[in-house]
Amino acid sequence: MADREALLSRTFVEIADTLVAEFDVVDVLTTLASRCVELFDVDEAGLMLAVEGVLQVAASSSQTMRLLELFEVQHDEGPCVDCYRSGLAVECGDLSTARVRWPTFAAEAIDAGIGSVFAVPMRLREQTIGSLNLLRKGTGQLSSEDLTAAQAVADVATIGILQHRIAAERQLLALQLQGALDSRVLIEQAKGVLAATTDTSMESAFDAMRAYARSHNRRLADVARALVHRELSGEQVVSPTSER
Amino acid sequence: MHDDTLSRIRDDLARARRAGTSSAATLIAACVDVLDVTGVGIMVMVGSGHRGTVGGSDAAIRLVEELQFTLGVGPCIDTCHSGLPVLEPNLAHPEVSRWPELSGPAVDAGVAAIFGFPVRVDGVGLGALDLYQDEIGHLRPEQHADAMVMADLVAREILEWQAEAVPGTLASELDQPERLRFVVHQASGMLSVQLGISVHDALARLRAYAYAEDRAMNDVAADIVDRTLVLE
Repeated sequence: MADREALLSRTFVEIADTLVAEFDVVDVLTTLASRCVELFDVDEAGLMLAVEGVLQVAASSSQTMRLLELFEVQHDEGPCVDCYRSGLAVECGDLSTARVRWPTFAAEAIDAGIGSVFAVPMRLREQTIGSLNLLRKGTGQLSSEDLTAAQAVADVATIGILQHRIAAERQLLALQLQGALDSRVLIEQAKGVLAATTDTSMESAFDAMRAYARSHNRRLADVARALVHRELSGEQVVSPTSER
Repeated sequence: MHDDTLSRIRDDLARARRAGTSSAATLIAACVDVLDVTGVGIMVMVGSGHRGTVGGSDAAIRLVEELQFTLGVGPCIDTCHSGLPVLEPNLAHPEVSRWPELSGPAVDAGVAAIFGFPVRVDGVGLGALDLYQDEIGHLRPEQHADAMVMADLVAREILEWQAEAVPGTLASELDQPERLRFVVHQASGMLSVQLGISVHDALARLRAYAYAEDRAMNDVAADIVDRTLVLE
């Protein structure tokens, strides 16, 4: 039991690391799936994440698990699908009793040698982002300790993933800001270039640039860049018809 | 800094944004208050080197920001490049002289010690938070720690502005002639044509001229744009 406690602690630390370091979500979740097989009385484990409301296989402890998860996604039925939709844990200690509930999945999983299936939601408050799925060859319920610990693993993983998503959004926004700032400066430089080459005011230079961008179906920032780098002459921009 | 203080500042900023008033002013006032320093300024600077001023709490820090822009050197520029805090507890007599051109005028304006903190988001640099004191000396440890917290808050606030912008455009809080010194970039563009050089070199010429003439870069640029000044 002490070994298990240690492994569980280490798993939590591994997930927590994702909060601070740059990481690959799929790598972390694949490690997590393997850890679940070691930690709990199960033979297979996998994680599914929803992308824009559609469940996708994120990580699996083995190829068998991966195929079963893909099968669930394709047929839109099974413990992970139910767990994700309801946001509640799904427990099925004997898969042969679930032939009505999941007609295609139950048959496929039993064929693959699976006897019982369990799924816990990856959920933070009202937001469910996926599910952690545990499969076992034998039948019978999972112990309440295992189920509680599995939910804890799923909770910590959820927080890590959500944090990562927020960080990725912030980074994207920061890069957009950089790009927008560069474009803005470029436009002012180009106004100066155009004003000097065609002896006009900054206002007329800007109007001419905008008119040229519109009539040539180009972005204003691209026209500005071309002017600043002298790939486009001021005369071309001021009288757009003269280039023909 | 107490957690309550931080949440109060966040609330104030959100309220300013909702009311449509400038949260930049709120941000700067909060920095002065929390950090207990003489003055605070915020500068934006992206990887390409394009920079602008978000604002300063008093005339002395605005002069320092102006000088940094004109000279192209200074604590915020260093902190933007390195991503590390830049600390100068004795600007008049530094252990290592880093910005001799900046020190004289800044000390005359009452800046005894100056500190720059990077404003970054997940490794992407957005600018710097500048603090100054009218007395020589290091920041207290808690001031230093709080400055890092405030620099993070500044980064988040700048992103809040950008999140409101139409994709591809710049946040309206930043897209302002005086903040980004549009006139300097217009003048660089004109100068590049007149002298047959790149805009990058033209900016350097503008900077050198302003320094040699002891004039603000904005004023020199305005003269070039008005065509009352032609550089040879």
